[in-house]
Amino acid sequence: MTIWDSFTYFAILAIVLWATGAYFAWRDRRRRSIVATVAGLAIFLSFIVALWISVGHPPLRTMGETRLWYSFFLPFVGLLVYGRWRYRWILSFSTVLATVFICVNIFKPELHTTTLMPALQSPWFAPHVIVYMFAYAIMGAATLMSAYQLFKMHRTASSDGARPFGHRVATPSTASPPMIFDSLDQLVRIGLAFLTFGMLFGALWAKEAWGHYWSWDPKETWAAITWFAYLVYVHYRQLPRQRPRLALWMLIGAFLLLQMCWWGINYLPSAVGASVHTYGS
Amino acid sequence: MMTKPWTLREGFAVGGTLIAFGLLLTLSFGPVRWDAFEWPTNGITMSALVALLLMMHLLRSHVYVFRFLSTYAAAIPAIVYAVVVTIVMGLTRQSAEGHGIHDMLTFWPFVLTYVYLTVVLGMVTFRRLFAFKPAQWRRDVPFLLNHLGLFLTLTTATLGNADLRRVKMITNVGQLEWRAINAHMEVIEMPIAIELRRFIMETYDDGSPRRYASELEVVTRTGKDFLATVDVNHPVKVDGWKIYQFGYDTAMGADSQTSILEFVRDPWLPVVYAGIYMMLAGALLMFIGQKSNTRPHHSPQRQTPTS
Repeated sequence: MTIWDSFTYFAILAIVLWATGAYFAWRDRRRRSIVATVAGLAIFLSFIVALWISVGHPPLRTMGETRLWYSFFLPFVGLLVYGRWRYRWILSFSTVLATVFICVNIFKPELHTTTLMPALQSPWFAPHVIVYMFAYAIMGAATLMSAYQLFKMHRTASSDGARPFGHRVATPSTASPPMIFDSLDQLVRIGLAFLTFGMLFGALWAKEAWGHYWSWDPKETWAAITWFAYLVYVHYRQLPRQRPRLALWMLIGAFLLLQMCWWGINYLPSAVGASVHTYGS
Repeated sequence: MMTKPWTLREGFAVGGTLIAFGLLLTLSFGPVRWDAFEWPTNGITMSALVALLLMMHLLRSHVYVFRFLSTYAAAIPAIVYAVVVTIVMGLTRQSAEGHGIHDMLTFWPFVLTYVYLTVVLGMVTFRRLFAFKPAQWRRDVPFLLNHLGLFLTLTTATLGNADLRRVKMITNVGQLEWRAINAHMEVIEMPIAIELRRFIMETYDDGSPRRYASELEVVTRTGKDFLATVDVNHPVKVDGWKIYQFGYDTAMGADSQTSILEFVRDPWLPVVYAGIYMMLAGALLMFIGQKSNTRPHHSPQRQTPTS
């Protein structure tokens, strides 16, 4: 209970450091940018660890607690993307998004519960949720990059007619739009690997806790939908002739389905009361 | 339409036809009767499916459709249709008593969509298996683990479901119990008898349960007799059954003298798990292999397959 009172201080310090990192990224000061972002991550992680110790179980149950992990993984993934592909804007985006999630936690702290029902007391619990939050952050970064790319293509290609999904290209590795696909494909494959871990860890856990590995619980159904949606993208990208815009829209669509899986089902009439994955207190 | 080589358009046409055909089947025969697949029918079906896919693979140079089934032009629509029918499932309330889209697992269009996905998966797997090059293991091993793993999981989880047994046993302190209740609320006799020695309940300060468990004496028809504690998340294994802590007398709470146990038997589980572990290994390799093996292969053969 008391540890949450100090959350604001940890959070402000972390946000300031992440913003500093984002600023240095724009100025092409790579080393400073990385140091500041890592420092912010260390501060934020130390809060998570302190919370973990104080509540006596991994803080992963409530939406508030999963937002905490998401706020952590967003700048983390942003840092990986920046370190690897040097997109100057990615750290700004990840910082803004992480800040939004942190603000939700500060102004709507419905997460001070320390009780953990017996079914959640499993060694699978932490890996299942952490792996999923990491995957969500990766897919979030991929979505931002797609939207940014679509915006750029919209601006530059407004003269070449109004074909809905752009022209077919014979080889996707020429010209400017496909450049981003190299990084997008890598991100999505990493994200997909982690979605797979999350889903299958969940299945193995469900067998021990509920007697069966897959029950088409609404959360499971939407997890399968999300997983297949990213598979569509991965397979589409293997075609020799593709529409770049369609591929980019696929990632945005898949991320919308992922939102349904993550929190949308809490509001879905068909899922309310039918899922063991209800978050809250 | 239908000029060779077939593209995504034909792929979507094949999948759409299957869904329409599924609707016809639903109108003619009603829901899919999964319980008809009980052993040995499911074993025979599984063998027949693998044999059929193998035969189709071997005939691929003679029959264009068989060749088509292992292309991306077939795979992408198959996955898209799986997304679509699963979204319908996610948006509607599901129950075993439901009809049509309210019980998707027995709704022919849903089932045929997944069957089609499975057939494409099987054809793709055979094709890569027969074209396997040890020098290309970085590409082929994760590919096979992912695709064969998913194929095994989908087929055996679905067919094996007919052999899945889940029954509940209500045990009372000090009484030996061997009767259980199945999903149809029928009382059946179990080969395992249970005596509840003690029901354990620990609560948090707010009264919500922290732990509930049962100390049991387990006596089996095979001659076993032992003491065990069943906790949530920690089932006990005996003679092919797993015994789970399911519930208790919630009106009595911590003083409950009753414990509800669930018995689960799933003979197909090892094969399903083999598929799951293959997919986990495939995902791991996909993650590790990112740096060295990133560029997709755009050889034209991927679209119009060679023999």
